[in-house]
Amino acid sequence: MSKIVNGGAIGKSFPIDDAALKATGELSYVDDIKMPGMLHAKVLFSPVAHAKIKSIDTSAVKALPGVRAIVSYQNTPRVYYNSSGETIDVFKTECVFDDTVRFIGDKVAAVAADTAEIAARAIRLIRVEYEPLPVNIDPENGIKEDAYVIHTNGGLASGNLMETVSQSCGDTDRALRVSEFVFEDTFTVPAIHHGAIEPHASIAVFDATGKLTVITSSQDSFAVRINLSRIFSLPMSKVRVSVPAIGGAFGGKVDMITEPIAAALAMQCGKPVKLVYTRKEDMTSTRTRHAMKISLKMGFDAEGNILAEDMKVFCNAGAYASGTSNIVWAMCGKFFKVHKCKNLRFTGYPVITNTQPGGPMRGFGSPQVFFAQQRLMQKAANALGIEILEIQRKNLTLPDGIDYRFDLPHGNARVLDCLEKAAELIEYRTCLKEQKESKDKRFRIGVGIGVGAHGNGMYGIRTDITAMILKMNDDGSTVLFSGSHEMGNAAITLQKQMISQVLGIPMEKISAVAGDTETTPYQLGDYSSRGAFVSGKAAMMVALAMKEKLIGFAARYLNCELEKIVFKDGLFIAHELEKTNNTDAATIEDIVQYARHKEFTELICEVTQAPDAAVISYGAHIVKVSVDTETGHTVVLDYAAVHDVGKALNPLGVKGQIEGAIQMGLGYALSEEIQTDKNGKVLNPTLKKYHMLRANEMPKKIKIALIEKGEPSGPFGAKSIGECSVMPVAAAVSNAISNAVGCDFCDLPITSKKIQDAIKNI
Amino acid sequence: MQKLKFVLNGKCVEVEVEGCARLIDVIRENLGLTGTKEGCGIGECGACTVIIDGDAVDSCLYPALRAQGKNVTTIEGLAKDGRLSALQQAVLDHHALQCGFCTPGFIMSATALLNKNPKPSREEIKNAIAGNLCRCTGYEQMIEAVLDASGQTEIDNDSA
Repeated sequence: MSKIVNGGAIGKSFPIDDAALKATGELSYVDDIKMPGMLHAKVLFSPVAHAKIKSIDTSAVKALPGVRAIVSYQNTPRVYYNSSGETIDVFKTECVFDDTVRFIGDKVAAVAADTAEIAARAIRLIRVEYEPLPVNIDPENGIKEDAYVIHTNGGLASGNLMETVSQSCGDTDRALRVSEFVFEDTFTVPAIHHGAIEPHASIAVFDATGKLTVITSSQDSFAVRINLSRIFSLPMSKVRVSVPAIGGAFGGKVDMITEPIAAALAMQCGKPVKLVYTRKEDMTSTRTRHAMKISLKMGFDAEGNILAEDMKVFCNAGAYASGTSNIVWAMCGKFFKVHKCKNLRFTGYPVITNTQPGGPMRGFGSPQVFFAQQRLMQKAANALGIEILEIQRKNLTLPDGIDYRFDLPHGNARVLDCLEKAAELIEYRTCLKEQKESKDKRFRIGVGIGVGAHGNGMYGIRTDITAMILKMNDDGSTVLFSGSHEMGNAAITLQKQMISQVLGIPMEKISAVAGDTETTPYQLGDYSSRGAFVSGKAAMMVALAMKEKLIGFAARYLNCELEKIVFKDGLFIAHELEKTNNTDAATIEDIVQYARHKEFTELICEVTQAPDAAVISYGAHIVKVSVDTETGHTVVLDYAAVHDVGKALNPLGVKGQIEGAIQMGLGYALSEEIQTDKNGKVLNPTLKKYHMLRANEMPKKIKIALIEKGEPSGPFGAKSIGECSVMPVAAAVSNAISNAVGCDFCDLPITSKKIQDAIKNI
Repeated sequence: MQKLKFVLNGKCVEVEVEGCARLIDVIRENLGLTGTKEGCGIGECGACTVIIDGDAVDSCLYPALRAQGKNVTTIEGLAKDGRLSALQQAVLDHHALQCGFCTPGFIMSATALLNKNPKPSREEIKNAIAGNLCRCTGYEQMIEAVLDASGQTEIDNDSA
């Protein structure tokens, strides 16, 4: 399957680069790595939601044999940082350890010991006296004038309000006034767990040269290096962040979580320290998708054209800033990308509270936006008596569509094509008929549409670059040096495909060094759907640079003018000889040898890729559900997902991304929620109580199609899929359930209990 | 400390273990086979699945001493002479893994199924891997891989 010699790697399916290692158990993830003399760490987490630490007594811990290091706010740098690389220079609200704890699950102290058991015993011996502070878990209360201000550091706009994210185009107020119909509703979405099967883990080594090496499961190693360098006052030459493997990320491993704790312990005792969170720790003290309350108002004319949309969001940032600012800005951005409507206004209020922090998660605020927007459109369609498919057709943006805030094109926006194809795949008319016919039955059929969009990198928002190095080997094979992290999304695989396509080198003759701040050039980080559009393009560009270099040497080797060299099927041929005599052709190996031995030159290329457009990926999902009106149980019968990907670089990989997103989105729609009490204590910190969907709970049928109409600025026409694929799911499912039952569900997740309650109240 | 003797991936092994030791720790720590993963520690994710006397078992819940005299297979025991098992190969061919952390557990559950039931139906496969949580794939390509490994191919007109 992988023996494609020339020009055929793009558009072919390849397993993930390290798939054979994963399928045999040979790949070492962080927790699989052992080092001589390695210690094991355990963290003491706060049992209280908000308090000043009056005292910490570790005397009993020090007396415990096998304990090697104890860290708390008393002996670690009080350097404030932002854990999220995306917002690394703003809203610095967090320390490795602070003298104040701000949520149940906040880090108080940590111990490194000879064994994990001793470390666990040790933290139970730490005596902490807390002086309680007022607790607030509600964003709207958090911005009241008399609210207790949780952070004095970090440069928040005012009190607990981080900032006001406010963007608009047109005249929304006026458009709402003149609209014949105005619909509005308020929607709530819960915090959810990323659910990577590998919990957060890192190993820190502080060696005799004063160098800190952190081996970690991170999707943003360069940002972790920046933060560690700042916290511990080390030059970056003395900080190395290396990522051996990532057992699932989904945004949850953008933030620095375990790394500074392991580092502080290692620096104190000079031994390698491993810190691996348990599932419960992962679910209560890391990051979540943000809980939000979204109010939306939409103005329509009688034909179903949207005249105005006005969205107001209260976002629960949780106890620390993390990437919240960017997430609210990102959701704001998506609000302007899907409709032809020219009067749009978004206002977002990210507010610090005493709950587990929200952070980056697949979709970055957008699943929330599209849930609210698509639900309200369905409600409007019902009220206007116009079929929702028609409303969608009238309002979705077209390939020449622009973001009216800045007159910025969306790129080749093919969202309408997605919708039409999805309707065809699921046989939409038949579904509607079934919905109608089941109206009085116990098992009601419902069909729902969800549309969503997502970006491709951070053009215009941050300095978005990926640099790469490509080095030729003696035999014409090659090594790529890439700062990308293989999260399971085939990032490195598709970079190899780019190189294979450009240079005609078979996939198995391309190796990669990746995810290491010391051995690879800088890249921004593996978030914001940069994988294909930015980093993929970097691989294409470095291969093109190498091709040009090779042709230069080939011209001298073949004693032929540069313009007359033809590169085909892995061979450099002097043009006039192309058809008659291939013996005057040179292989890449010939050129590498020639360059080395005759011109004393090694063939190495480097490029820095920076995108020059903010293109948008789109998707439309249509789902058919059956709802048992007695139990409230929902079964997803049929599912159609169609995505505008420009070009599918690795079709089976794209399919896997979409199917995985459906699992994640169905959980968001139906069952997943981090439940808390009034103090923000997580009430369901186990996978069983939390309930992500299992194999036997997935839809009976999933039909996937791709719209491949090419994105001019993307590598080989490609644009992103990983994040975009999760956007429409909850929107489609919630519409389907609402249509089945005949009432409007505005709060996720739509559990059996909520459905039963709604039916009782009809 | 007590002596524990069992067959691991076809070879007899002997280790000294604490009475309360979990099988996963004996496999990973004492015997150095780290292919078996821990995702929750309480039998809810299936990442630690191994096969004991033919049955797929969560090794995080399994007391090591209960393995006394038993036949234990881990992910490292499937490839023979450097050749992947049919299921491992099908997992590669069908893109049935992404991050790979749940993969060993899933492959062990599915291998146990195929050993007992060489031609399982789609529903039987779904039920056999229902204990293995995966956050990447949505399970579909896993199911396709198991069907392929069992010599059954689905005509799938719906997929991309």
